[in-house]
Amino acid sequence: MKLQVRELTDTRCSFVVDGTMPDIVNTLRRTLVSEVPKMAIDEVEFHMGPIRDEEGNEYDSNSALFDEMIAHRLGLVPIPTDLTQFTFKDRCECEGNGCPHCTIIYVLNKKGPCMVYSGDLQPLGDMSLAVKEQLIPIVKLKEKQALLIYATAVMGTGAQHAKWQPVTVCGYKYYPTVKLTGDCADPKRCVSSCPKKVFELDEGKVKVVDPERCDLCMNCVQACTDAEGVSLVTVEGSDKKFLFTFETDGSLKAKDALAHALEMLSNRYEEMREMFSGIEA
Amino acid sequence: MIIPVRCFTCGKVIGQLYEEYSARVQNGEDPAKVLDDLGVSRYCCRRMFLSHVELIDEVMPYT
Repeated sequence: MKLQVRELTDTRCSFVVDGTMPDIVNTLRRTLVSEVPKMAIDEVEFHMGPIRDEEGNEYDSNSALFDEMIAHRLGLVPIPTDLTQFTFKDRCECEGNGCPHCTIIYVLNKKGPCMVYSGDLQPLGDMSLAVKEQLIPIVKLKEKQALLIYATAVMGTGAQHAKWQPVTVCGYKYYPTVKLTGDCADPKRCVSSCPKKVFELDEGKVKVVDPERCDLCMNCVQACTDAEGVSLVTVEGSDKKFLFTFETDGSLKAKDALAHALEMLSNRYEEMREMFSGIEA
Repeated sequence: MIIPVRCFTCGKVIGQLYEEYSARVQNGEDPAKVLDDLGVSRYCCRRMFLSHVELIDEVMPYT
């Protein structure tokens, strides 16, 4: 198996794997999407009734959005997750009571008129758990309106709810090979037939510039012909070589998510191997 | 009502980009260029901005 990394940033990763099979790559995709855990706000407690500030002004605990809508929006805010620091609540040593190893509590205390942002969520305790995307609008408050919220973030997986899905866009494609076998009769038509801009005009001739952009749509195979109508392009996708791309929502680094997914897969097969090793034929 | 936190289709977090987007478009910039600048590349995320109607200021007086 060969690996070439094409792009690696905090939130985006794309690489080419050679010498594997579609089912193996698909297993990795499914694990990334639905089984890598992350933290997300799961329980939101709203203060009901009047809220008073230090000067004795009274505010109404009300806003233009329903409370459940605000809770939903808070759930979708990415919470920075260190997978070595946190565990699932039901598997934690606190036996599901909630402790710093399985829950993060955030406080949101804002008085109108103002816009409430995700950055207004203050973690109780460790400030390194503060939300990274500070500018996500949550709700807008007018005069005499206030919000006092206690939000609890816990760990979960994408299989439970999309808010616990650290990897958002995730997919792979068969590695495309685009070959020109002759000089095309109508180069302009050939170049414009490709929606992904694989071809370019070079001194009146068609040139393949970036075959990796190809979607295997086969438009060029029909458009690029000689005078007799015989196709001069061959486009093939390999089922042994794949271009894999995924993005994270920012709660996990792309590299960490990938490492965790691969570790989960190998642990699972190791578990299966151990179960089989005890069986005698 | 208010800009969704994430893209409905792909799940990319887009809420934090809205204020810059709307300020720049109001200043007469081309929405397509602003979205390119902000790194919103897929059409599912771009429609979240283009089709959004900010209604919260209209609704707020009645709460």
